[in-house]
Parts: sequence; C-alpha cells; structure tokens
Amino acid sequence: MNHKELIASMAAKLNAPKSVVADLLDTTVTTCTELLVENKTIGFQSFGNFEIRKKEERLSVHPSTQVRTLIPPKLVVNFKQSNILKEKLKDLPHHD
Amino acid sequence: MIKDKISSQEVIDLVSSKAQVSKRVSEDFLKVMISTIEESLLSGDVVKIKNFGTFKLQWNEPRKSVNVHSGEDILLAGYYKVTFTPDVILKDLVNEPFAHLTPVELDSENPEPEQEKTNVALDPLRIFNDQASEIKDLLSEIQSLSPKEEVAVDTPIFVPAPVEPIHDETDYADYLLQKELVKKPIEQEPKEALPEEKEVAEQILRKEIVEVVAPVEGTDYQNEEVSSVSSFDAIEDVKPLPAEDVVSGSNSIEPTIATGNSVEEFDSSEFLKEIHPRRVRRFWIKALIVFLFLLVTFSGFYLFYPPVRNFTASTALALKSSILKTSEKVSMTEMFNTVSNWFTPKQKLTPIPVRKVVIIPKDTTANDSATGKVAVDSLQLMFDKTRVYKTFIATETVKPNGRLTIMAKRYYGSKDFWVYIYEANKDRIPDPDRISEGTLIRIPKLDHRLIDPANPRCIKKAKELHDLYVKKED
Repeated sequence: MNHKELIASMAAKLNAPKSVVADLLDTTVTTCTELLVENKTIGFQSFGNFEIRKKEERLSVHPSTQVRTLIPPKLVVNFKQSNILKEKLKDLPHHD
Repeated sequence: MIKDKISSQEVIDLVSSKAQVSKRVSEDFLKVMISTIEESLLSGDVVKIKNFGTFKLQWNEPRKSVNVHSGEDILLAGYYKVTFTPDVILKDLVNEPFAHLTPVELDSENPEPEQEKTNVALDPLRIFNDQASEIKDLLSEIQSLSPKEEVAVDTPIFVPAPVEPIHDETDYADYLLQKELVKKPIEQEPKEALPEEKEVAEQILRKEIVEVVAPVEGTDYQNEEVSSVSSFDAIEDVKPLPAEDVVSGSNSIEPTIATGNSVEEFDSSEFLKEIHPRRVRRFWIKALIVFLFLLVTFSGFYLFYPPVRNFTASTALALKSSILKTSEKVSMTEMFNTVSNWFTPKQKLTPIPVRKVVIIPKDTTANDSATGKVAVDSLQLMFDKTRVYKTFIATETVKPNGRLTIMAKRYYGSKDFWVYIYEANKDRIPDPDRISEGTLIRIPKLDHRLIDPANPRCIKKAKELHDLYVKKED
C-alpha cells in the first residue's frame, strides 16, 4: 500500500475528500518529524513508539581488503511495536 | 526520557493546531490512520508514507532456547514484527547533528612498507656476501684441484684450441676479449697481494713480459694455462668473477690466490716439458695470440699510466726493440725451448734489478679500440687497488655540524667522494654519519682519476663504498 492508496483508503473511511486527508496526513508527518528531530519519543497507543536512538561510532574492517574504516556516530529512528499490536500480529498465520 | 515522550493526544493537539482543524477531526484522522495501517499490515501488505517511511511485517523464525532455571530446551514460537524503515528525508533530518561526520579510512600504512624498504636495502649487501663466499669456495676448489687438473686438462685443452689458428685480427680480438674476462682478475690479484710492493711488482711483471719475446711467451703461456684451467670451472664463473673486483677491496682472498697462482705456474712448467711436439705447436700459437694481446694490453696500460711512461722515458729503449725484432724471427721449436728455460726464473715474483729497463715503445702496436678498453681497465684496476693514504693535502678540524661530505665537496669537487676521507680517517671516525666536533680530519691526496666528478664510474665506485660503509654501521 503506497501513499496514494493509504489516502484513498482513509478518505473512504472518514467520508472526507482525499485532498483534506492528504493535507492532514502531510501535517501529521511533518509534526512527527519535527518532534523526532527534537529528540522526542512519540508513542501511539495500541500501535507503537517512535524514538531516536544514537548509534555509537565504530570501527569496521572490510572483510576482503582489510581496510579499517571509522564509522561516525549517527542518530536513527527506531520503531517499536506496542504489545497490543504484537498480540494482534500473533493471530496472523505464518505464510510464506 | 519520560518527559520527552509525546503521547498520541499531544500529537493530535499539535496537528489540530497546525492544520487548523478541530481536535476531534484530527483525533478521528489519527485513529483512522493507525487502524488503516494496522489493517494493511495485518493483511500482509507494506505501508509506505511519503516523507516518513515504510512499515513492513517481518517474520521472526521460531528458535530454540534454554530455560535459565530448569535448563530445559524450549521452543520460542515464530512471530511477526512491524519494522519501520525511515524515509531518506526523515533519516537525514534526524541525523542532522552528526551529518558533517563522514567515515574515515584508517591507513594501516607504516609497518609493512618499512619492512619492505629495509629488505630492499639489505638485498645488495646479501647478494654481495653470497657472491663473495661463492668466489672463495671456487678459488679454494681450484687451488686444491690444480695439481691433478694440470694433467687432466691435458686433453680437453685442445677442444677449444681450433679457435686459435685464426689470424684475422678482428676475430682474434673477440677471442681475446673472452679470454680477458677470465684472465683479468687472476692477473690483478697478485698485485694486490702486496700492496706496498705493488708498484714494483707491476713493473716487473710488465718488464718481464716485454723483455725478450721468448720469456714473454713463457709468461703468456702460463697465463693461458691458468686461464684454461680455470675456464672449465670458470665458464660458469664468468659472471661471479667480475664481482671479485668489488670484493678485492678486502685483502682476505688475495693471499690464497697468489699462492694458488704460483703453484699452477710451477705445475705448468713441468707439464710443458712432457708435451707432445704436435701439441706444442698449438700451444705455441695460442701463446703467441695471448702474447700479442698482452702486448696491446700493456702498451695501453703504458699509455694511460703516467708513472710507467715516465719511467720508461728515462731508460734506454733502442736495444730492447732490437731484441724484440730478432726474437720474433725465432723458430717455433727454439721458442719453446726458451719458453721452458725461462719458466724457472719467472715463478719468483721478486724484483731482479738486472731485468729492469725493459719496456719498449710499443705504442706502434697499440690499436685504438684496444687502448680504449685498456684505459677503462686501468681505472678498474685503480678501484680495486687497496688504497693507502700516506700523503695528505690538508687537515681539518671538524666544526659544529661538520660533515665529511662538505669537506669532500670542497677538496674533491663532489660530496660523493667523502668515502675516501672516511677511509683515510677510519681510526678517528667511529660513525661516518656523526663525526664529533673537534676531530682532526686529514684530507688524503688522491689520484685525480679516482675522484673525477665528471666520470660516472668514479661516482659509482664512491657510491658503492658509501653503501658499504653506511650499511656496515646499521
């Protein structure tokens, strides 16, 4: 499901025009982004938490060339699903 | 952490204020959004939100584990997990504080290249040592074998003989060139064996050879003998032997050679007497060729070695030239007899005053190409000679930060020749790289041809010595 499909699906549920839904979604995304940039954790109940984690700097060695590279520290977004969602997912049968 | 956590309610408030919609609308929207994403995920789909990221389900395989308390094996069931991959834009925005940092390649440079360097630097020295020991072995071998080999050589000596009858000057020159390769080092060594007397010895050698043709033939014949004996071994040695020129700076080898040489000479003289007349002719031809070559060699040497010229200039020459002429007409058999007669006195390399004054103006016989070659050889000879420093042009007191190279530049014209200064002052200079302040340095007088900055061979020789001394300190 891509962005457009998501908007269409939500618009159908909300009985609202897609443009409004698109604007709202856009606003939500920018809001979340801003909050995350401020190093805040966003918790959506029944869904999960978005948080920023710092990856420390590390030394990586290229397996074949043996070139050692110092990887600088970085901040990444991490999503951890809530237990409610996890329970729901448990019911999902495994199919490959 | 807790105070930094934003609940969904706060997000709803923020969104409503930003989008200027009621909180109710935004709340509904958010709930619908989350439920839609959930549904989509539960149906096994991927949800992609622009500028934000992608939600995806990931199946974690069931795995075995151990109960920490009971130690029993337990099977953890497989489960789905929602993963979120942030969009590049979100990723970059979040990572902004560290965005300026880039991965740095750490060079693991130094240890290995340095090792390589030292290896390369050691290589010439190692090769040099190998060659030196090789030559020593060969020489001792020749020495120990020579009495037997004189007899054994008897037949094989005639295998290469057919080359000799050639009377063509050019072919003959080529042939001589080959011979010279083998012979030259052996010729040189006896001279080096007696560094103090070498001048005398050289002159005597020369004199004897030129004095009368018959004795000359004798000496040539000996040389020939020596070279042909060694040539069986030496055919392979031709390469190692030139290296001997380098080695000869150290006197350790020379005495053995000198003795070995005299032994061979003695044997050859005895051996000669038993030779079959037919073979004698070939020997004679061979001897003649070598004699002519030596004539050319020594005339070249004479031309390019001022002391000799001065010496000969002061002596009577006419008589000797007449002797030379007559002796050339002597028949082969006569020649042989005289050869064998002259052997005995020849063996001793002691100076005999009576025989002085022999060198004839052979300049006429010298051909140009030969002299050029010989000139180079005389230089080589000079390189190989053990340098004895007796006369000095000046003495210098080492100034702070003084260096031998600076003195060499001043006195000899090139700093490469510092090695000679070092050689002359070895007893005072423990380390040529750091000469201590106040040391009295004597600047030796050197032959101008040895320190000719324009001659690449002189520079090369000096560099070789430089390597030798500097490496030795390491």
